[in-house]
Amino acid sequence: MMLGPEQMASEFRLAKVEDHQTILVQRTLRSGQSIFYAGNVIVLGDVNPGAEIVATGDVIVIGKLKGTVHAGAGGNEGAIVVAFRFEPTQLRIAGHVAQPAEETLPPGKPGLARIVDGAVVIEAFSLTGERKGPPSVLRTLPNAPVVESKARHTGAGAKRRNRGAVSEKAR
Amino acid sequence: MGEVIVITSGKGGVGKTTATANIGAGLALRGYKVALVDADIGLRNLDVVLGLENRIVYDLVDVAHGHCRLKQALIKDKRFEGLHLLPAAQTKDKTAVKPEQMKEICLQLKEEFDYVIIDCPAGIEQGFKNAIAGAEKAIVVTTPEVSAVRDADRVIGLLEAAELKEPKLVINRLRPKMVRQGDMMTIEDIIEILAVDLLGVIPEDEQIIVTTNRGDTVVQDQRSRSGEAFRNIARRILGEPVPLMDLERDGNLFTRLRKIIGLR
Ligand SMILES: Nc1ncnc2c1ncn2[C@@H]1O[C@H](COP(=O)(O)OP(=O)(O)O)[C@@H](O)[C@H]1O
Ligand SMILES: [Mg+2]
Repeated sequence: MMLGPEQMASEFRLAKVEDHQTILVQRTLRSGQSIFYAGNVIVLGDVNPGAEIVATGDVIVIGKLKGTVHAGAGGNEGAIVVAFRFEPTQLRIAGHVAQPAEETLPPGKPGLARIVDGAVVIEAFSLTGERKGPPSVLRTLPNAPVVESKARHTGAGAKRRNRGAVSEKAR
Repeated sequence: MGEVIVITSGKGGVGKTTATANIGAGLALRGYKVALVDADIGLRNLDVVLGLENRIVYDLVDVAHGHCRLKQALIKDKRFEGLHLLPAAQTKDKTAVKPEQMKEICLQLKEEFDYVIIDCPAGIEQGFKNAIAGAEKAIVVTTPEVSAVRDADRVIGLLEAAELKEPKLVINRLRPKMVRQGDMMTIEDIIEILAVDLLGVIPEDEQIIVTTNRGDTVVQDQRSRSGEAFRNIARRILGEPVPLMDLERDGNLFTRLRKIIGLR
């Protein structure tokens, strides 16, 4: 379900990550646009500088991640962030903040961020061949709702449609 | 039935008004009937840029409120056959016109004109909403600066949300030398972020400042690079496939001659 920040605060306390739904965002998030979601967020598009995603679960960007992402918002330290091009402005997981600029990941490469020993670690994420580290456990995504590619932007206003499958292509 | 195009940017001072005047004049040069609408109420300056300030009797707000007929408020440009201006009011603020009224005015204008071009105010508030209300197409202007591109991205998102799909991009004030030295964003950098079609690139050109201060346009100037860039944009709007001009070409006649005869 799509929640405003206030509602989400209470949702955080109730929801266990395992039960979280996943939302599919079939568009590029432009500057000033944001998604708040109690669950996982998958973006089929880019997250431009100035755009923001806050999710209680994982955030996966099938495109360029250049904006700001907060995964595991509400305290889930197991949340991860994955992007095909991993160049976020700012990254948070649960209560931890990482400045990717200080990390060593080369720009333009797929990346994955997670918490290791209480700190955000960013690592290259190989899309082919051998892959080390998480995510080793594939989570099932129950009946992922879809944000229309036409959907209006910004948090609480973002519309979605309940559809089982992805049919439209991102921009 | 004409086409209503809004020229917008988010950030101020990137060249919306300059682009409106020159693209409008460029289309008029090609024989089309063009109405320019200054939607920057309270901060009008399209009339000044066009040198038509002293001929304003009625303005957009007068038309919206029924104080005059649309025809009475339109100023006919004397240099460009077919070019007209609907000026903004200087004394009112942006709330003096409602989006509904703007829509109605655009509808009336496109009965009469081939192209209706709206000069949008900076920002994303009421003035922006008014300016885009009657538009069917949008041109987004940016300069090769991170902040301008960020605002352009924001505006493109808002345009898309308002069903103004596939806006076209104009990059203004590009300095090829700075780009070459790695001190300025490249065209590719900008397109990569904004992911929209490029309508044209205008180089930084002193001639624009000179002509603007005179209340004149640059598009009719056969020798100026920016004039050529604006003519190309007008042709692309008309559907001609015009390749991007070579911005690297040296403006200096002597070095250009050397290049032509192969001395480089
Ligand atoms: N390509 C250019 N080269 C040099 N000066 C420019 C160029 N484009 C615009 N300018 C100057 O920049 C200033 C702002 O342009 P303007 O069109 O008024 O911007 P906006 O309408 O977006 O606020 C003006 O003084 C104008 O003459
Ligand atoms: Mg202006």
